[in-house]
Amino acid sequence: MNERGVPRRANRAVHRWRLPLTWLALLLVLTVGMAELEGVFRWIETDSRQVIYDRADFVTLLGRHLLVVMVASLLATLVGVSAAIAVTRRAGRDFLPLVAQIASMGQTFPPVAVLALAVPVLGFGTLPIIVALLLYGLLPIVRNTLAGLQGIDSSILEAARGMGMSRGQVLRQVELPLAAPVIVAGIRTSVTVNIATAALGATVGASNLGDPIISGIVNGNTAYILQGALMIGLLALTVDSTFERLALRRARR
Amino acid sequence: MIELFDVTKRFGEETAVDGISLRVESGELCALVGTSGCGKSTTLRMINRLIEHSEGEIHIDGQPIRRFEEDTLRRRIGYVIQSTGLFPHWTVARNIGLVPRLLKWSPERIESRVDELMALLGLPRETFADKYPDQLSGGQAQRVGVARALAADPDILLMDEPFGALDPITREALQDELRELQARLHKTIVFVTHDMDEALRLADKLVVMDAGRIVQQGTPLELLHEPATPFVESMLGGDDRGLKEASLVTVGERMLALGPRLNATARVHRDATLRQALAVMFREHADRLTVIDDEDIPVGELSLQRLVGNTRHE
Repeated sequence: MNERGVPRRANRAVHRWRLPLTWLALLLVLTVGMAELEGVFRWIETDSRQVIYDRADFVTLLGRHLLVVMVASLLATLVGVSAAIAVTRRAGRDFLPLVAQIASMGQTFPPVAVLALAVPVLGFGTLPIIVALLLYGLLPIVRNTLAGLQGIDSSILEAARGMGMSRGQVLRQVELPLAAPVIVAGIRTSVTVNIATAALGATVGASNLGDPIISGIVNGNTAYILQGALMIGLLALTVDSTFERLALRRARR
Repeated sequence: MIELFDVTKRFGEETAVDGISLRVESGELCALVGTSGCGKSTTLRMINRLIEHSEGEIHIDGQPIRRFEEDTLRRRIGYVIQSTGLFPHWTVARNIGLVPRLLKWSPERIESRVDELMALLGLPRETFADKYPDQLSGGQAQRVGVARALAADPDILLMDEPFGALDPITREALQDELRELQARLHKTIVFVTHDMDEALRLADKLVVMDAGRIVQQGTPLELLHEPATPFVESMLGGDDRGLKEASLVTVGERMLALGPRLNATARVHRDATLRQALAVMFREHADRLTVIDDEDIPVGELSLQRLVGNTRHE
């Protein structure tokens, strides 16, 4: 690599990642400097004495929010992708309709209802919200993994087997790489939706970016609601645009 | 050598292949011909166990194929299909190197083998090695498919309508290339096609199948001379089969070597087919052609009578 190539290459990378970086920068600025906007929020919320949410600092809330979503999404991805792989194998094919159905049911079941059912069993705190998000986020992952795997031209798989690749080799070297863009798109939907849904965790004692919103609703404080919503929105945009960037890079190979 | 003994394949109630026996000698190109659904592709895919046969035995070099582990067996057999089945996320070079990689060859050996095959199939390395399959034309993709099948130098090649999706000109070019390749490599090839002209051009042995059974097998000329059933006759084009025969015989085989009177003005090359010679006669309104060699030197004469195989009057 020549000397000039390095900065130019780095430059291009920054250029490509401009959108996700912008959202991330906004998110971080807001996390640290929410208090600086007191004037704006006071203008919006004229009735309350307190306009900046301060029962926990935003860095902690953001961290907890991210953690819950990450754990839930990681589990959903693991469970969803493995289930979809299992039912597209010869031995598991009988279970395909069942798994597809369970995944759809997970989506139709409102997360609030899952929380209501989970709290008596799992108690208050982070666990019920993780379960709710896991169930809620499963469908797009299962559905997309199934679509990705089933969408592969059958002649490619026939050639792969005919050349003497083992079933495992076909899965790892052919099926998963070819289905990856569709699978990643499913994970993207799942994660983005769950970033918003995770706010519900605040109602069962899992403190996160939902806290200002719930507290705002309870106290009639629009400024609190706005702060929570802004943070969640920016987080969702950051993650979503990052996924989009990754998808584009894959498509270009 | 591939041998099928009384091989049957049933899918549930349906019998796709019904007790066929067949022997393909080493270095022979055997074409399975028939209408769609006659069981020719099923037969082919039973040889590399993509489909397991229900009854009978299939032997390769005297060994029953069930004795080998499936993947081991398939890595020893080249496989080419109509839609190429190239991996779209791999470059041409990586696609070609697939089986050697499965066989755990060293990277250097794989690379030199890939180079060799790309040269053999007229795919210049600089242009094609790093391309992806969707950047290739149909003919180029099928060349890569053939190169991939040949990569580990298998003795046996199974080809399932490999040129069926190509335009007529590309198809003929690839048929010629396959013939040249086969003349050099002497693989044992089983070639499935529904195109009788293709089968006649390429095959040493022709097997006509209908409804899961073999109707007739033999050399192309044997079939053309004596089609066993009306079905075979219609497959061979009915009355047209005379012309098909004419395209299997060269002028050199029928001409009168350097006769006394070489006064015919119309000329034809020694290696041309009788069909081409007939076309020249038709075009030139001549019943006699001077036969020439590569240097344009007259070497003989072909009369219409000789062309049609009637030599009594000469």
